[in-house]
Amino acid sequence: MTGARCPSDLALEGYLVDRERSPVAAHVSACAGCSAQIARMEAEGEHFRQYVFPATVEKVEAAATPRPWWRARAWMVPVPAVLLSALALVVLLRPQPPDRPADDYLGTKGGDAGALALTVFLGDAAGARALGDGERVPPTAQLRFTVRPGRPCRLWVVSADASGEVSRIFPTDGDGGARFDQGGALPGGAVLDGKAGPERFFALCAPGELELAAVRRAVSAAVGSGERGVRSVRVIPGLPDGTSQGSVLIEKG
Amino acid sequence: MGDRQQRAAELYRQWGPAVYRRCLKLLRDPEAARDATQEVFVKLVRDLEKLEDREAVLPWIYRVATNHCLNLRRNAHRRGEDHATADLELSSPEASPASTYPDRALAQSLLSRFDATTQTVAVGVLVDGMEHEEVAAALGVSRRTVARKLERFLEKARLYVRFES
Repeated sequence: MTGARCPSDLALEGYLVDRERSPVAAHVSACAGCSAQIARMEAEGEHFRQYVFPATVEKVEAAATPRPWWRARAWMVPVPAVLLSALALVVLLRPQPPDRPADDYLGTKGGDAGALALTVFLGDAAGARALGDGERVPPTAQLRFTVRPGRPCRLWVVSADASGEVSRIFPTDGDGGARFDQGGALPGGAVLDGKAGPERFFALCAPGELELAAVRRAVSAAVGSGERGVRSVRVIPGLPDGTSQGSVLIEKG
Repeated sequence: MGDRQQRAAELYRQWGPAVYRRCLKLLRDPEAARDATQEVFVKLVRDLEKLEDREAVLPWIYRVATNHCLNLRRNAHRRGEDHATADLELSSPEASPASTYPDRALAQSLLSRFDATTQTVAVGVLVDGMEHEEVAAALGVSRRTVARKLERFLEKARLYVRFES
């Protein structure tokens, strides 16, 4: 202690934002208690960046998007049954996409793309261990990932659960997929959402930029909603040629 | 990804740690703090421009996070969920010379019985050890309002304890 009153948490937050201009900088540098407090705050911030951010950023992004007019309740109007029947007929008669690959197809699409290996690690007090496909994990477990692509690519790691939600895991920001030249552990990780049920992680390595919206569309279309799709669909069809893939299923609960 | 989404993600990365720390302090549970941090930021990103005002953003997000987490505590208390109402870590007496320790202990046990603004004032002064001026600046109210709310809070709390005993 310096004898002066220790700054509040809010003042220390201000110090973390701009140490040089902070009015409490002199106190913090001379006060062992405040220095320890700053170290604790930095550790908590690091925990946020590693585990909380990757697991929650998607909902924050979604909240920043203005609600489209056609989803606003004010625009909902009754649709005559005849019109609904006509729409259903159009959907039924629409040309179907080509058959999707067999569920056990894994690795490459479009010929010469290199193989890809995705490994999911469960991080706990005892250290990290690789999970087997379909392995049961605590519903709030913290996970880390390694990806070994056969060649440089643009990487996405996403997950799909039984609610039909596709969650972005890596990269946590930007679009187009992360440039990924060499295999290794991905920065950050994911904290599971606490809901019991299956969740499948997909690593998708495209030869060029691949928009997240396209990834979401393809994963949603392939997996759909419900536990069956999550457990059975291992490969996402409809991605650019040369996209290599890997997937791992976990069972939460 | 749209521009607004990208900006929101960047701001979340930048300011999320401050929100998370605040929620962790008030909720005392990492899981609850994680969920609360996301919920707070979902509220904050509705006003992206305000969130990008670097000079003014910290007191604002601090206030929103505090209100949100105190609401969670109050709701959990009403539902009788003891785990969600773990004791708040009181500021040290020397850090909060304006109040005595019994006042601060009293504040902790009775906090959930008061409205959101009064709770925020009480937590700012009695739990965080903030000066009245600092609480006033963070809440965007006058120093006099802070003093008055705190005084009423302590008065009612003492009356309540006397009545109960």
